[in-house]
Amino acid sequence: MTAVLEYVRASRWYGPVIALNDVTTTVGPGVTGLLGPNGAGKSTFLKLAAGLLAPSQGEVRLLGRPAWGTPELYHHVGVCPETDAFWEGMTGLQFVTALLRLTGYDDAECRRRAEQALETVALLEAQDRKVGGYSKGMRQRVKMAQALAHDPQVLLLDEPLSGMDPVNRRRVVDLVKRLGREGRTVLVSSHILHEVEAMTRRVLLIHNGRILAEGDVREIRDLMDEHPHTVSLRARDPRALARAVVGAPHVLSLTFGADGEWLTLQTAKPDEFYGHLHEAALAAGVMEMYSPDEDLESVFRYLVPR
Amino acid sequence: MPIYEQTYRRYEAREPLRKVRFWPITREALRLILSRRWFLGLLAVAWLPFLVRIIHIYVVTRFPEANRVLPVDGRLFGEYLSQQLIFALFVTIFAGAGLVANDLRTGAILVYLSRPLTRRDYVAGKLLVIVALNLAITLVPGLLLYLIALALAPDQFVKWELAWIGPAIVLYSFVISLVLSLIALAVSSLSKSARVAGLGFFGLLMGLELVHSVLREAFDRPEAALLSIMTGLQTIGRALFGITDRTFALPWPWAALVLAAVCLGCLAVLRARVRAVEIVR
Repeated sequence: MTAVLEYVRASRWYGPVIALNDVTTTVGPGVTGLLGPNGAGKSTFLKLAAGLLAPSQGEVRLLGRPAWGTPELYHHVGVCPETDAFWEGMTGLQFVTALLRLTGYDDAECRRRAEQALETVALLEAQDRKVGGYSKGMRQRVKMAQALAHDPQVLLLDEPLSGMDPVNRRRVVDLVKRLGREGRTVLVSSHILHEVEAMTRRVLLIHNGRILAEGDVREIRDLMDEHPHTVSLRARDPRALARAVVGAPHVLSLTFGADGEWLTLQTAKPDEFYGHLHEAALAAGVMEMYSPDEDLESVFRYLVPR
Repeated sequence: MPIYEQTYRRYEAREPLRKVRFWPITREALRLILSRRWFLGLLAVAWLPFLVRIIHIYVVTRFPEANRVLPVDGRLFGEYLSQQLIFALFVTIFAGAGLVANDLRTGAILVYLSRPLTRRDYVAGKLLVIVALNLAITLVPGLLLYLIALALAPDQFVKWELAWIGPAIVLYSFVISLVLSLIALAVSSLSKSARVAGLGFFGLLMGLELVHSVLREAFDRPEAALLSIMTGLQTIGRALFGITDRTFALPWPWAALVLAAVCLGCLAVLRARVRAVEIVR
């Protein structure tokens, strides 16, 4: 993976508080979810990438150059901050246009790009309304628009779905996925697991300023040997299925569902288990199968100590 | 695993920076400020003394005996600019108080600094707003007044020994504008409320003026003037325009040093406060 964003032993502290602690990682093209509870260090991680903060120690490189103190680089970066960042008296169009001017386009080009960006986030109809009168979801979208308007290669989105209604949430999720498919590097932070999961399978899990895990959710889950994988199966004859698999060394426990159709088991080696399951599944008439702890929430629950 | 587009794609975002990166900041702020009618009214009022001075020059050129009562010479321009100080103070309060404070309150500073701008550009852009407005009521009318004086009374003013008037007007106008603007911007960066910043700026200058007056009354020492920004500015003006007055007996190099220290202090405050991220220790 080409590293667009690179953290090399990067730390950032605010007085005695360590927000990010000795982080070494890389982020490449596509969508990467930055996941962690509130106060985990996600915003600091993003602000270091955006060059809004200098690392207290270590290095953060963006597109091969130091992220801090290289303003030329910010032509290629779009930042959607978590907090509101508006001049309330401006209209949505004026806001995006004013920020585009800082990127160096002429007035006509600024207007064209601003309208295009507002259309992308479905805010064209409200472009002439004052930002002060926008709903929370509209504010989020106008922030997205200003981040997108100059066609940046790298997008840093801090909690972009916060406050959005389901329709616009869906729209932004699709937009983020599309931007990733286009080859842009999109780093999206969120503390809501299903939001990140809807956008990408590639995540960086962050907690107490440290990277807990990174990579594909499934791959991370597979590496967590100390937590057995749970597999739930619905079968016509769950007891026959249980008899067929109970002797396998990698099956650790079995539980029958109250409805008599479901069998839930735990295995230490899911790949071997699935390999052996085939014939038994046919015989027992397995109708449905899923793994409830291969989702991001389970991975996160296992990784983050309560 | 999803397969992402990895081939080369030309992104349209521009690489080279503008030569004057801060100009869009200045332009946007000026547009907002000048869209307020009452502010335009304030600027218009600030030009009234200019009209009075023109009448003054006109009367003296038509009735030379009036020159004994109301002399027209180099001092006139110094006195005019010192008079403009009070207008500069109000223009600075109303234009400058919210410049940084509002960005800190709304968080807009974060989106500014995520653009191809440095913090220095940001400060320069904001500073230029107040400096430009102050120059509009000091330098512009000052030079215009000088040109009118040259036109109306060429015998009196078109002289080599009075050639210093033009540069003195430029220098004094810049000193007034820069000092007041830097103080206002620094005070603005210390608050998230334009109102608090405006009151803070006014209170600071007037408070120092008050302390200066009390000390002057109590000890009758010129050093008391070191505490007053306004007196410091007037001292520079009087030195530039050759006006002697016991009230401003403070040596001008002292005043210049104090004002330079104040400017450096303001820059230090701005350096500490203008950040994309508020750091609470």
